[in-house]
Order: sequence, then C-alpha cells, then structure tokens
Amino acid sequence: MEVNKTSKGKLLASGLVPFALVILLIAYIFGPGGELLELGTPLPEITLEQVYFMKGEIQVSVRNSGPIPVEVVMADVNDRIQPSAIEPDRFLGRFETSLVRIPFEWNEAEPYIIGLTIEDGTRFEKEIKAAAPALEPTGNLIGFFAIIGTYVGIIPVMVGLLWLPFIKRISKAKYNFFLAITVGLLLFLGIDAIEEAVEVSNEFLARSFNGALLVATVVILSFLGLYYSGNKLVDRAKSSPYSKPAALGLMIAIGIGLHNFGEGLAIGAAVGLGQIAFSTFLIVGFTLHNTSEGFAIAAPMAKGKPIIGKLFAMGLIAGTPAIFGAWLGGFVYSPFTAIIFLSIGAGAIFQVIVAILKWIREEGDKGLSSASVAAGIAIGMMIMYLTSILV
Amino acid sequence: MNISKSGTMIIILIVAVMVSGFYFVFPDRINAEPEEKIFVTHTGGIVKTSGEVLDPIYKISTVEFDPEKYLREFNYGRVSTTPEGKTVREFTIIAEDDKSMEISPGVFYNVWTFNGTVPGPTIRATEGDIVKVKFINNGSKSHTMHFHGIHPAEMDGVFEFVGPNGGQFTYEFEAGPVGVHPYHCHVMPLEEHIVHGLYGVYIVDPKVARPPADEMVMVLNGFDTDFDTENNFYAANTIPFYYQHHPIQIFTDELIRVYVVNMVEFDPINNLHLHGNLYHYYPTGTDTVPSFYTDMITLSQTERGIMEFEYDYPGKYLFHAHKVEFSEKGWVGIFLVKENPKFVSTGVEYGS
Repeated sequence: MEVNKTSKGKLLASGLVPFALVILLIAYIFGPGGELLELGTPLPEITLEQVYFMKGEIQVSVRNSGPIPVEVVMADVNDRIQPSAIEPDRFLGRFETSLVRIPFEWNEAEPYIIGLTIEDGTRFEKEIKAAAPALEPTGNLIGFFAIIGTYVGIIPVMVGLLWLPFIKRISKAKYNFFLAITVGLLLFLGIDAIEEAVEVSNEFLARSFNGALLVATVVILSFLGLYYSGNKLVDRAKSSPYSKPAALGLMIAIGIGLHNFGEGLAIGAAVGLGQIAFSTFLIVGFTLHNTSEGFAIAAPMAKGKPIIGKLFAMGLIAGTPAIFGAWLGGFVYSPFTAIIFLSIGAGAIFQVIVAILKWIREEGDKGLSSASVAAGIAIGMMIMYLTSILV
Repeated sequence: MNISKSGTMIIILIVAVMVSGFYFVFPDRINAEPEEKIFVTHTGGIVKTSGEVLDPIYKISTVEFDPEKYLREFNYGRVSTTPEGKTVREFTIIAEDDKSMEISPGVFYNVWTFNGTVPGPTIRATEGDIVKVKFINNGSKSHTMHFHGIHPAEMDGVFEFVGPNGGQFTYEFEAGPVGVHPYHCHVMPLEEHIVHGLYGVYIVDPKVARPPADEMVMVLNGFDTDFDTENNFYAANTIPFYYQHHPIQIFTDELIRVYVVNMVEFDPINNLHLHGNLYHYYPTGTDTVPSFYTDMITLSQTERGIMEFEYDYPGKYLFHAHKVEFSEKGWVGIFLVKENPKFVSTGVEYGS
C-alpha cells in the first residue's frame, strides 16, 4: 500500500513537473522577461474576407488577422476614396470582424478592387473579378437551388443505384473489380475535396487561420470520428448476416452525403458569384460524376438482401445534402463553413475507402493484391478524372 | 434492425452539424444596434448605419493642421532696416521629424515639418529685401532648406548639411526673382525628405505691388502612407477633401489671387481645373503679364504659378485636379462665392 502510494505520488509529480515548468516559462515571459517580446515591430494586418454586391452598395467583411489591434479608418473602391460605414465599429481586436458598407453604384460583371486603410495608413485590398448581385433567398431561388441539388445529388445517385441488379449477378472477381472502382472513385473525390478546401482557404481565409492545417485537422478528425462510429455500426450489424452490407452501404451513403453537401456549397457559391455559365457546366459535370456515387453505394449492398425502401433512403442520405449545400452556398456563403464541410466530406470519404478495402480483403479470395482490385482502383480514378474535366 | 436506428441518429448528427455551421455564417449579423447614424455619399445619397461612419470629413475641433488658416497666412518676418535702407526680414524655421499627424481622419502619418506643419510657413518678401532664415534642425536626421530662386551657391541648402539635434544654419540672400517659389529640404534621399512634408512656399512680391486681391496659397501635395511609391492621399493644402467640406468663402466681383505650388511626388503631373470660370495664369509668377487665360493648367514637380480670377455669379464652384484620380483621393475643393456686399464701396484689401 505504502509503496503504491509513493509511486503514485511520483507518477503524479512526474506528470506535473513539465507542466509546471511550462507555466513558469510563460509567466516569466509575461512578467520579468517581457523585454524579450519587445524585439521587432509587430505589423498590423487585416483580411478582406468577402465582398457582397447589394443594390447601390458594396459590402465587405473584414477581419483583423494580424497580431495587434487595428482601426479601420477608410474605404475605397478601385483606389478611389468613398464615404462609408462600418458595423458594429471600426476597432478590431485580434480575429474580430466588422462589415464595411460602401454606398456605390457598381456595374454588373465589371471587376472591382475594394480597399481598406487602417490607422497607420496601410491599405489592404481584395480584387473581385466580376461584380454580381448578392442572391436574396426568394421562393424562386430556393426552388431553383432545390432543383439543382436534386439534379446533382439525388437523381444521379438514384440512377447509380439501379446498377444493383447488374452487380448482383456477376462473379466474385468481377464484383471485387466493381468495388475497387468504387474505391478509385472515392479516392479521387477525397483528394478533390481537399484540393477544393485548400483553394478556398487560400482565396478567402486570413493567413492566421493556417488554412491548410485546418483542412488537415478536420479531415483527420472527421475520419477518426466516422471510423469509430462506423465500426460500431458494423459490429452491431454482425448479429445478422445480411445487414453488414447494408451497414457498409449506409456508411458509404453518409460519407457521400457529406461530400455532396460540399459540392452543393460549391455550386451555390458559383451561382452566387455570378459564374452562371460555369455553373451550368458544373451541374452537367456533377450529374455525370455523381452517378458513380450511386454505384458506390449499390456495390456493397449487392451482397445483402435488397430492400427497395432501404436503398431509396440511402440514396436520399447521399443526395439530399447537395440541396442544403446549394442553399447555404448560394445565400450565405461563408468560406470558413465551406472549408469545414469540404474537409469533413473528405474525412468521411477516406473512412469509407478504408471500410470498403477491409470488406474486399475479408470477402475476396486474393485480398487487395488481385489484378481486378488494382485495375478497378485505377479505372475508378481515371473515370473521375475524365468526368472532372467536364466540371 | 439497429441500422435504421443508428442511421437516424447519424442523420440527426449531420443535421446538427449543418445547423451549427450557421454559427460561422451569421455571427456578425446577429447583433442588433438601436442607434443609427447618417452620412451623405459623394453622389448625394443618404445612408443610415448602426455602426460608425468612415468619411474623410474633418471637424474643426479635431484639426491638427488648419487648412483654413494656412490658406491666407503670410509670414513677413521680423522687419528691420539696414543702414543702406534695405528691408531685412528675419525668420526662424525649426525642422522636426518625429511628429505623427492625423493627415486624414483616423490616418496617422509620420510627418517631417518646418515649424510644425506641412507645408511649412509661407515666407513672403518684396524683391530686393534681405531674407535671413535662421534654421534650427531639431530632427534626428540632417536637414536643410533649399530655396528656389536666385542666391549664392553656399545659400543653396544642398551641400551644407545641418546636423540633427539642434544643428543651426542661417540662410541669407536677397529676395528674387519676383514670383512664387517652393522651398524644401535637400538632403538625400531627397524623395523621402520631401514626401514626408519638408516643403513650403516662398513668395517674392514685385516692388510695385500687384493689385489688391483676396490672396491665398495652395500647395498641391500628397501622402504615400503605405510607402509603395504611390500616393494614398492628395490634397490642396495637405488635408484631403478639406475645402470640399469647408468651402473657401469669396465674394463676387472681387479679384482672387491664388499662389499655387505643386509638390506632389511620384505622379509626373498634377493639374488644376476651376469650375464656372477661367483664370489668368502667370507661370512661376515671374511676369506681370499673364501667359494664359484658361481653366486648366498642368503642373510638374515644383512647377508653380499665380492664378487670378473674379466670379460674376454667386454659388458653389468646384476646383480640383482634372486628373480625377487625385480629386477622388482628396484633391478637390469648393469656392463658395457670395454676393459682394461692399461692391459699391471701394475695394477691400484681403490677406495683405
């Protein structure tokens, strides 16, 4: 007992000592060692995150992305000073944001550079390639986005699910080949989502957010979270032999749903930013592209007992988030939200990939090293790459 | 059987995550502010805001440098006479380079000054007067005063550096030629010393005085507050938009004489356009016969001259750079022409 107690105390002490040292170090820097921090001149920095073109007014959200508080004192459009308003106020602490309202009769589709000057005279700017009116959530537009979301999300996934009877009848090697195609498709989607998230963070997010690391962190957290809950789901399903494929299908549906939410955001944002022509292309591309997603859900389900209702529900889980994404992207696009959801989607996809590979290894004869699996993954990637050129 | 249950759980989870996503979207739109402020746009629109107004309007109470006062302020120096009967005008000019001035509302810039202001005081003498300028450098760098005009080489303020922290030098020369001239620091890097504000106006009147007039000085200048060798602000007399918000009051049928000096750096030219009128222009002010009758002059660096005009009709008249970029960055003003109450009586001498 006695020995145990001292060793416990030692354990506790050995755990706490480094902490205490760190606290001491921080206290020193904030206290007597403060001079160390006075080296160098901290430079103020603001980031113009988003620009909205309203009727007779340009609005820009600004964030203090530097190490010291700043004061926003002047706004300009194309380097010409404009009287404007800042809400709630012009004083920005670290990471704080304000909205600058610049009354300005802007012209649609023309490029603009919005500039803000802070108290030391430094000017920061953001370039908009083509001004487009901010979308108002009218009934028409809500319906429009819902239809687009249906086209991009639900219909292609449902169409893809129709492959189920075909997959059901083929041999095991061929079946593994089709599963591997799914892996290839998903791998491509996951990488695509990460690329997109990093792109958004480069364009919109203040550097102080460490955009790429934010993406990495969210991807891994999402992967771990879904991996854990997915395994729980599959474990529970083990009691009945037919529900494991269904569980896997559900996992894939959820992963793809999260992914489609991100795609919906991208489409909504494209419409919001006035790239309508581009957006039409985007929709055609996504529709083709996403048919493969239905296939991804259908492939593992082929081993289970096909229940139309269940299949339909999974199609909805995978497809409907595109509608929500389009609404959010079109009406209240926030780069931060977009990055988070794109990253969650990517993590979800990778989790699904791991689940399918595990499934192939357990069910297949040669595991992952068979020619059909390797060819399937390669072909999946290529299909996605080729259809992505359309987007 | 458990799948559907877990499935719904996960759907609920997804919905929850989506809804919580709105937190990132809406945070700064939730605040409701009761108090509303109003401001007027450049196109006359009236806008309400719950926040603060960002507008380069200077209030009289916050003015550090008063363009109103500078406009008509001429310094004739401490006057004495030599045994030969020549007029001596003595000036004391102190240079500093540590002052931070609010050059536009909320924008602080490290100005280098002669006697505490940008531009420095307007020095005025009559042709032939002896001008003595006691120059004290209280700055942290070497500075000089270089007058445009005619003077001996050692009075040129180029090679005779006046050291920091109290260095002294007395510039002494005979005023001439007649006209309007700039003076500025001539220490290298020259661009830096000029754009920080070490310049001013030096006027030499002819021995036979010009006709009485409402006289004013306009130094066309700019500030590059972010050091990218492009001006962020332009103005007549330092403060952007000042004379637009505080029009210069003049009277009809009264001679107006403007001594205009272009000190804008970086941009090769500046210009001056007057609305509703034309002016007689005397380049460098060296001649008594005007060279142009125009409403538009183009000025390169330190190019200057005298403008003379009278307004026939009362009202508000703009004057501004017709390089409109400059006017939209502050180099714009208004003459508020009032009906002349003293028109019937003899002319009143203003500003002299």
